[in-house]
Amino acid sequence: MIEVKNIYKNFGSNSVLRGVSCEIRDGECVSIIGPSGSGKSTLLRCMNLLEEPTWGEVWMGGKLLTPVDPYLHPDVIRASRTFRALSGSMEEADAIRKIKAEDLLREKRAAEGKDYLAVMKRIYEENHQDIDVSRQKMGMVFQHFNIFPHLSVTENITLAPVLLGKMTKEEASERADELLARVGLSDKKDTKPNMLSGGQKQRLAIVRALAMEPEVMLFDEPTSALDPEMVGEVLEVIRDLVKGGMTSVIVTHEMGFAREVSDRVLFVDGGVIAEEGAPSELFDHPQNPRAAEFLSKVLR
Amino acid sequence: MTDFISKVIELFSTGKYMSSMWQGLLVTLEISVAASVIGLLLGTLAALAMISKKGGWMKIPKAVAKIYITVIRGTPMALQLFIMMFVIFAIRGFPEILTAILAFGINSGAYVAENIRAGILSVDIGQTEAGRALGLNSSTTMIRIVIPQAVKNVIPALGNELIALIKETSIVSMIGMYDLTMAAKVVGSGNNMASYVVPMSVAALFYLAMVYLLTFGIKKLEKRLRSGDRS
Repeated sequence: MIEVKNIYKNFGSNSVLRGVSCEIRDGECVSIIGPSGSGKSTLLRCMNLLEEPTWGEVWMGGKLLTPVDPYLHPDVIRASRTFRALSGSMEEADAIRKIKAEDLLREKRAAEGKDYLAVMKRIYEENHQDIDVSRQKMGMVFQHFNIFPHLSVTENITLAPVLLGKMTKEEASERADELLARVGLSDKKDTKPNMLSGGQKQRLAIVRALAMEPEVMLFDEPTSALDPEMVGEVLEVIRDLVKGGMTSVIVTHEMGFAREVSDRVLFVDGGVIAEEGAPSELFDHPQNPRAAEFLSKVLR
Repeated sequence: MTDFISKVIELFSTGKYMSSMWQGLLVTLEISVAASVIGLLLGTLAALAMISKKGGWMKIPKAVAKIYITVIRGTPMALQLFIMMFVIFAIRGFPEILTAILAFGINSGAYVAENIRAGILSVDIGQTEAGRALGLNSSTTMIRIVIPQAVKNVIPALGNELIALIKETSIVSMIGMYDLTMAAKVVGSGNNMASYVVPMSVAALFYLAMVYLLTFGIKKLEKRLRSGDRS
């Protein structure tokens, strides 16, 4: 479904992600945990390009969302002038390794020659899909809900499917009714969102994303901004979704929940995936010392 | 005091004085209304150019908008008016009221642009992200999600700008145009009123009435937009 290949993300001189690769398979629920500032939200936001990775590639459903990263394609490296200059004096594999390790391509793209640019362009054109199209298949739920305050509850749900021509207005509002019923908000359909509680807003945000009939849902700390008594109702909705087979990626601090619903857990620390595994493995027998330390603090 | 009041009554009851004042008022209104329309259009365009991300073809309009706003806000209105009148549109037969409208419209646009830009930036970035994450492109997100929320935040500042514009039009009297201020001066000088104080006071009253009405209208509009949030 989603494939993240060796992504780096720098904000100015601060490097938040430093070479992250992971794959989210169809129907799988993956939780991303880790200390704050570890890069877990950034990793999630890179999946739908709300943050554009500085280097590396993101693929979704076999389509490339980012620009081509030359280091991920031996064909591209082989077409470069740098490679040709090196390959006279060493083995091909060594030359490729050296170029990657010493970061020899990135400085001067055009200087690598016409062939190099042509291969990059070919790979891009064969695989690239417009991000707005890809995003229609990826629902996103934010920590701060980001409900549209100027629209009614129903309009929040129908706006995108109608504007994007996925449904007619009537179909969309019928679908909105169904979705609102599913999360217990039927009686709020005509109100303005600022009459809703945090938990209700987040449930609305989830069905707003579902209205686009996404293939995968990305949850960015969906309960972190909620009052404690409202966390349960939101987790309940997410739990139902996951049980229904929705491919999901959840960045969360709710360890109990992550353990319960996830097929796999990624522990992110210092901008890399420090450990990954089945929840029972990772929570009970963490191998990575940082993971062990983090879990001992949060699981008390 | 009684003398002042009787003079006021005389001014209001003398047809030629009043028609002079009305004529001036009309010119002031024409310039204000037309210039504010131009200002809003220009300002919106400049604001949109300013907030566009760097890179791509938008670099050019962005640079133009930056220069426009810097130059207009950095030079006096009176000088801009002189330049328009005596340099750029120094064409025989070109209607001076059009020149004035353009000068004020262009001037106002620079201030409006900054107000609108601030209004758009005041909308939480999360709103844009939510729109984009649903698959809406950047212009649809801007039009359907950000701008409707920005409007509310911009109205008070735009109101201030329109008020300033109405009053600032009085400097057209410096180039001899017959606006409300000029009318007051003419009525005050060439008649038996014996002083400027009465026509000037009446002109002040007219300006005050215009500004008051505008303020009232803006308050109403603001209230309506805000009450929409809470229903």
